[in-house]
This record gives sequence, C-alpha cells and structure tokens, in this order.
Amino acid sequence: MTIEDKAAETAQLEKVWARPPGWRYLSDVNNSTVGLWYIAAAFAFMLFAGALALVIRLQLAVPQNDLVSAETYNQLFTLHGTVMMFLFAVPIFEAVAILILPAMLGARDLPFPRLSAFGFWCFIIGGVFVSSSIFFGQAPDAGWFMYPPLSTEQSGIGADIWLLGLTFIEVASIAAAVELIVGVLKSRAPGMHINLMPLYSWYVMIVGAMILFAFPPLIAGDLLFELERLLDWPFFDVTRGGDPILWQHLFWVFGHPEVYIIFLPAIALLAMIVPTFAQRPIAGYSWIVLSALGTGFLSFGLWVHHMFTTGLPSISLGFFSAASEAVAIPTGIQIFAFIATVMMGVVVRSVPMLFCLGALAIFIVGGLTGVMVAVAPFDFQAHDTYFIVAHLHYVLIGGMLFPVMAGVRYYYPFAMGKLLSRQLGIWSFWLMFFGFNVAFLPMHLTGLLGMPRRVFTYSAEMGWDWLNLMSTVGSFVFAAGFLVLAWDCVRPKRHEPDAPRNSWNAGTLEWATPVPAPPYAMRSIPTITSRYPVWDDKDLMASMDEGRGLLADAKEGYRETLVTSVLDAKPLQVLRVGTPTWLPMIAAFGLGAVFIFSTYKLWVPTAAGAVVFLVALMMWLWTGTAVIPEKDSKDVGGGLHLPLYVSGPQSTGWWAMFITMTGDLTAFLSLIFGYFFFWTIHPDFPPPGIDGPGWVWPAVAALLAFVAWGLTLASRLLNAAGRVPLARAALVGGFLAAAGAAAVLLAGPLSTGLDPTQHAYPAIVWALVIWIVAHLAVGMLMQGYCLARSSFNKMTPRYDADIWNITLYWHFIVFSTLLTALVIGGFPLLA
Amino acid sequence: MTGKVTREVRRETGTGTDLWQVIFAPIVWALHFLFCYVYAAVYCEKAGRDASLDGPTTVIIGATVVALALIALSTVRLWRVRGRSLTDNDFEFDHNTPEERHRFLSHVALMLCLLSAVAVLYVAIPMLYLTSCR
Repeated sequence: MTIEDKAAETAQLEKVWARPPGWRYLSDVNNSTVGLWYIAAAFAFMLFAGALALVIRLQLAVPQNDLVSAETYNQLFTLHGTVMMFLFAVPIFEAVAILILPAMLGARDLPFPRLSAFGFWCFIIGGVFVSSSIFFGQAPDAGWFMYPPLSTEQSGIGADIWLLGLTFIEVASIAAAVELIVGVLKSRAPGMHINLMPLYSWYVMIVGAMILFAFPPLIAGDLLFELERLLDWPFFDVTRGGDPILWQHLFWVFGHPEVYIIFLPAIALLAMIVPTFAQRPIAGYSWIVLSALGTGFLSFGLWVHHMFTTGLPSISLGFFSAASEAVAIPTGIQIFAFIATVMMGVVVRSVPMLFCLGALAIFIVGGLTGVMVAVAPFDFQAHDTYFIVAHLHYVLIGGMLFPVMAGVRYYYPFAMGKLLSRQLGIWSFWLMFFGFNVAFLPMHLTGLLGMPRRVFTYSAEMGWDWLNLMSTVGSFVFAAGFLVLAWDCVRPKRHEPDAPRNSWNAGTLEWATPVPAPPYAMRSIPTITSRYPVWDDKDLMASMDEGRGLLADAKEGYRETLVTSVLDAKPLQVLRVGTPTWLPMIAAFGLGAVFIFSTYKLWVPTAAGAVVFLVALMMWLWTGTAVIPEKDSKDVGGGLHLPLYVSGPQSTGWWAMFITMTGDLTAFLSLIFGYFFFWTIHPDFPPPGIDGPGWVWPAVAALLAFVAWGLTLASRLLNAAGRVPLARAALVGGFLAAAGAAAVLLAGPLSTGLDPTQHAYPAIVWALVIWIVAHLAVGMLMQGYCLARSSFNKMTPRYDADIWNITLYWHFIVFSTLLTALVIGGFPLLA
Repeated sequence: MTGKVTREVRRETGTGTDLWQVIFAPIVWALHFLFCYVYAAVYCEKAGRDASLDGPTTVIIGATVVALALIALSTVRLWRVRGRSLTDNDFEFDHNTPEERHRFLSHVALMLCLLSAVAVLYVAIPMLYLTSCR
C-alpha cells in the first residue's frame, strides 16, 4: 500500500467521522462530543448546588439568623441534596465513562452513540426543569429522600417536580448503563482478554449492573408516589391501609447502592491515576476486581441502616448492621491495593496525585464514621444530626468529588489537548482540602452536641454558634478552591501549546490517542497483548498511526467499530454505529414534555409530547437500527473477514434489550414486593369486604399472554425457516392475543368494582395491572413494528435481529404477566 | 518466585470459568441475606413483638448451613484450578491467553467465595444473640 493510499484512507476516516459543522454541532452523537457536553452540564449543576449550599451556610453562620425564611431554607437543602446526587454525582460517572471508555478499550465509539445522546438530552431537560423550580419558589422542600406523609400531604407542586424530573433522569441513567455494560463486554480491542482490560472498565461494568438493580425500585416507588399524589391512591396513607415505610424501603433499596454507584466509578479513576504516577502496574489487579465485585453485591444489603430508627424489629437491624460492617472488608482491600501501589512505585509528584491522596485521607475518615453509624445503638444517638451530615460529606467528597477532581486534572490533556496550570492546581487542592476539613470536621461535634440536620436556625444558648461559624468560613474557602480549579479549566488556552501526546507517560490505551484527538479516535485498532500496552509495546503508537492495525479504513462510508467476544475479545463483527441526527434530541424533548406537562396536569400538551416522542423513536429505529448491509462481510485487515450483520445473542442489540429488561424486571418485582409488604402489615389481606379481582380474569389473561408469547416465538422460528407469510400471520395472531390479554386483565378489577382510592389493597392490584397492560401495549407495538419491517423487506429470514430482540422482550413480559396473575388472582385464595 | 515451571494448557477461547461462575458465591450471599431478612421480618410482623426467636434461629442456622454448603461446592471446584499466573507463578495474571484468563477468573471467584462465606456468617451472627422480636 502506497503513501497516497494511506493518506486517502485517513481522509476518508476524517470525512466519515467529521463533526457536524455550525449549529448542527448539536446533532452530534459521537462519544467525544456527547461526553464533553455531559461533563460540562454535570459541573454546571454542581456549581449551582454548591451555590445553594453556600446560602445554607450563610443562614446557619450565626444563631437566629433571618437571611432566608424557613420555607426557602427547606427548598434550599432539598434542592442541594437532590441536584448533587441526581444531577452531578451519578451523571458525572456516565459522562466521564462515555468520554474515556471507548479510547481506553480501543473502540472508535460506544455501540449505541445515539442512545448516549438521548440520555444526555433527557438529563439536561430534566435537570434544568428540577433546578429552575427554586426561582419560582416551587422547589421540592421535603428533603432529598421525600419521605411521605410530609411530601404527599403537605408539599406543593415541588414534590411532583422532584418525582417527575427525577424519573426522567433515571431513564437517562439506565440508558447509560445499557450503553456502558455492552461497551465494556463487547467492544474491547482484539486480544484484550478480560484479565487485561483496564480496571476502570471493570468498575464501569459493575456499576452499570448495579444501576439495573438499584434505580428500578425507585422508579417503582416514584410510580406509586405519583399515583398517590395525582389520583389519591393510598399507598403511603396509614388511614387507608397504606404505610410510609414502604416508600422508605423502595427509596433506600435504591439509595444505599447509589452511594456505591457514585463511589466505585470515582475510585476507578484512582485505579487509573495511581499506577501512572507510581510508574508501575497496579498492585493486586485481581484483588481489586474481586473487591469491586464484592462491594457491588454487599452494598445491596445495607439499605435498612438508613431506617434504624423506624421501629423495625431489632433482628432486622441486626442483619443490616452486620452487612454494613461486612462491606468495609472489600472497600478496605481496594484502599490497601492503592497504598501498596504507591509504596512499591517511584512516585511522581503531580497535582492529580495530590487529589488522589487527599481523597484517600478524607474518604478513610468518612469510612470510619460509617462503621460507627452502622452500629445501631450509636446510630440511634447520631440519627438526623449534623454527625450524619459530616459523615456523608466525608464519604461523598472523599469518595467522589476529590477523585473526580483528580480525574479532571488527569484527563484534561486527553479530552482538551491542553495542559492545566500546576500552580493553580496546587492552590485549588490546598484551598479545597483545608476548606473542606474546616467546614465539615466541626460538624461531627455539632452533631454530637445535638444539632439536628435540616433546621433553618438555632438559638445561641445551644452552644453551636462558633462551630457553625467555623463551618461557614470553611465552606467559603472550599468554594474558593473549587472556583480556582474551574477557572483553570475554562480559561482561554488558545495561545498555549498543545499538550504532548501521553502527557503523563501513562500505560493504558487511551493515552495512545494523538493530540489533538481526531474524531475517529484512532487511525487503526491495535491488537492488545498486555495490561499496559503503551508501556509494554514500544511499537504500539507507530503501528496504530500508520494504519497497520485493524479497520484502518472506512471505504463504504460508514462509521464502524469492532465487536469482540466477552471473555477473550476475539473479533466477531464489524458494527456500524449511529451517525449524527436530531432524532435522539427530538425524542428527548418529546419525552421531557410528557414529564413536565403532566406535572402541571396539562393533558393536551402531554399527549402531544408523547406523540412527538413516539414518532421520533419510530423514525430513529426504522432508519437507524438493524439496517441490512450491502454485503455480508468486510475485510478488516490482517486477513480477517468479519460479518457486518449479526442477530440474536451474539449481537449488541440483543444484549441491550436483555440488560434493559433486567432493569425493567427489577422495577416490576419492586411492585410485587409492595403487594407482599401490604400483606405483612395487615392481619387480614385482602381486607375483609373487598373482593376482587377474582381468579378467573387473571387466569384467562395469563393464558392469552402465554399464547401471544408463543406466537411471537413461533414467528421468529418460522421467519428463520423462510416461511415468511406464516411468520407474519403469527405476529398478527400474537398482536390480537396480547390485546385480549390486556383487556381481560383490566376486566378483573373493573368488573369486581375494586376502587383504588379506597384502600392500599385495590390500589396495589391496580398498579400491577396497569404496569402489565402498559408492557403488553409496548409488546404489541413491537409486534406491529416487526410486521412492518417484514412487509417492507427490512427484516428477512437472513437479517432478523428485530424479531430476535422483540422475542426476548416477550420472554420477560410473559413471565411478568404470569407472575402478576398468580399474585393478584392466586394469592387471595391462599391468604 | 518459586522456580516451579507452570505448564501452559491449550485452552479454547470461551471455555473455563466464566463471569456467571465468578458471581455465583455473591449471589448465594444475596439470596441468603434476603431469605434471612424477609423470613425474620414476616415472622415478627405476624407473630408480634413479644414472640420468641427460638424457631427462626433454627431456620436461619439451617439456611446458613445450606448457603455455606453451596459456597463450599463452588470453592471445591475452583480450588482444583489452583494455577497461578502463567508468567511468573504469581497472582498478577497478566498473560494474554485464554488459559490465563481462566486462572484469573478462577482466582477472583475463589476469593469471592471466601468473602461471601464471611459475609454469610456475619449476617447469621445477630440471630445467635437475639431472643425476641423486640
């Protein structure tokens, strides 16, 4: 191949991966663009919530202060917590991962770039909606965990804004989880066995999986909560058989794993930064992997430690106390592995390393107070005091903010191609570190002296005044440090030289990217043989740049990346990924309209938003997914021919559906949990005098759903066997059976006169029925979609990814429908 | 370094310990934990706060024995792998073959068995000390 051919290849890659110019830049979906937007937006929300915190500190600086009213104060602390948790801590994980993961794994882009863009637009719309509420005095005001009955019976529209805004953002998180898990498992460079992949990707995969089990219970809780607020269904109303504790369970089943969802990806950044500045491989790679996995699991056994004072039996407290202590074991292993790496290496002094060490110091204090409050009797004393405020800030700022700051400093040259100032970095670190400790260390004492959290003022004789004043001073020093860092990031650097390539002499693949980074990320995809390829393979960069790796061209004019096998990263497929389009943004605005307008009960605009969303989604699917390629396979170089179209369990789309439905199933099981929760708290359940829905209707519905599932599966098999007309007929039959199942399922509670506002029992039965009916409706939409694809020859016996994916959806739905029928129809016969 | 020569096995791609086997022991922990919590919570809710925990203690001990037995099953299988890293006979596992990947995942799984067993025991401890549903 001549030099001219090589130059032509590069030009073609440039053209295919070019960022859209001008205002069409906003339609970009490439991970390098969306990742930056995502990070910038998350930091903007962080600054906003930080400003709220400063107002809180000013109000508390002196006793009997009247800077803000009690009502405003309630909104301030609620919004501070909500924005920091939901609009900064979780999204920054997704943002950073979207930006750096592909380069780290040796992929040109993530498998579903348009999904990332959709997630980003959902995040920004929901975030702006929730945040701006405070300027209209309508912000949520019942604390970031929104406990009923305060939030259901006293809050104004703020509680609805909180619920709907956040449900929308949870959608974005689950989208990111799907994207990142499939990214880690299926788009690693060839040869990157699972024991060689960067630790960061292990953490991303684990956290992605945690999101699937943690966020759905909250979505289920949100659904019940909104049904109570909107339609007066008494899930949390004790006078009508409800129980506010149910909300606490659903919230904290999400809320505690969420702490680890925030913490693990941040500590993952340390796992990348520490080896670079110790100039040696990480010590105990396999130990870190096992402790990350162990933490991921154990973190789900902790949620009740937020509920130690709700009067649960002491045996329940005992189980959760024990698990809360146990989680310190894997967390400790990770910290020791980092310390060991530092001790065995030759440490290069640098600003990111300063932030890493500061993070460890602060987090260890937070971890130790965590072990203290995991002991139930101590928690009884410290509960809802400033001790808890101190503890949680030490955990989150040491475990998340400082590592993220280290990551920002470390990855800035990678993302922006420029270096940050060392002086400003050192100043910002010491201001932040000193300010943080001055602000939060005294709070331990303030709490032990009895100051409750969330009070808007206090009297002078309590003896909390000088401690609070100190905290206020510290918080402003902290904020100053943060502003120095923010200024360093945004100050114009046009006249400064580009950062050198691999500016920190790191060993992982993302640093092989040229500076400034081209939109196609790498000229060719290398084959990986070690954990630190840049250190171990001296020829790596030259080989990548000269196009000697795989997939060095884009002859056909498509954006392409490699799909490899899960364990050993054997090349399996050339995946054509999404190109820039407005559709994800339009879909997000449509869905956003649904959530926002329904908050204000404006049903016509809500319906219009739903139509926009569905039309955009359908166009997106129809034109951009499972496109039949012009040829079967492609030569990717090195004598390797890979297929361009794969369906079924080998394909990325099938995995995305599997992961999404796992999350969906978790939400459904949370509703089932709600049903049995009500059973445990009532001596008679179903309550006497309320009959329904009977067993006949649910049984018939289950049967019809079974038929719908069977016909969908038959359609897939018939289609694969080439019997296309029969396959289409089976789809039509499945559609009708599903419609019948939905109608019959609704007929059960309707015909037996179950009134959902009367008692929690009919309410939870109705909630389950609505859940299933909505899922059956989506299933019918999918059957119709496949029928249309088949009719327009976009789905054929050879190219059948669509029907594989919808059959998978139906596997989950038939299970949920059968279980619902058994529970609502069968359980009352037993009880 | 022990100087012991590690024999390289020609393992096919995709065989050996996989990710599901790695998370087997933590899943056992999760099921054991859920069972203990749900069982005790339902028992106390239905039997009242003065009820004695003698019966449930036996049940929880039984469940703990079952959970530990399941984890032991996985441990015995993984114990047979025992092979260390192909390159230096250590625990770094940074060789680029399917065999090394298998040994790496086996090591992670083995250590997770240990962690899960400890966590199962931790969870069972409160049951041995509490006598009533209060």
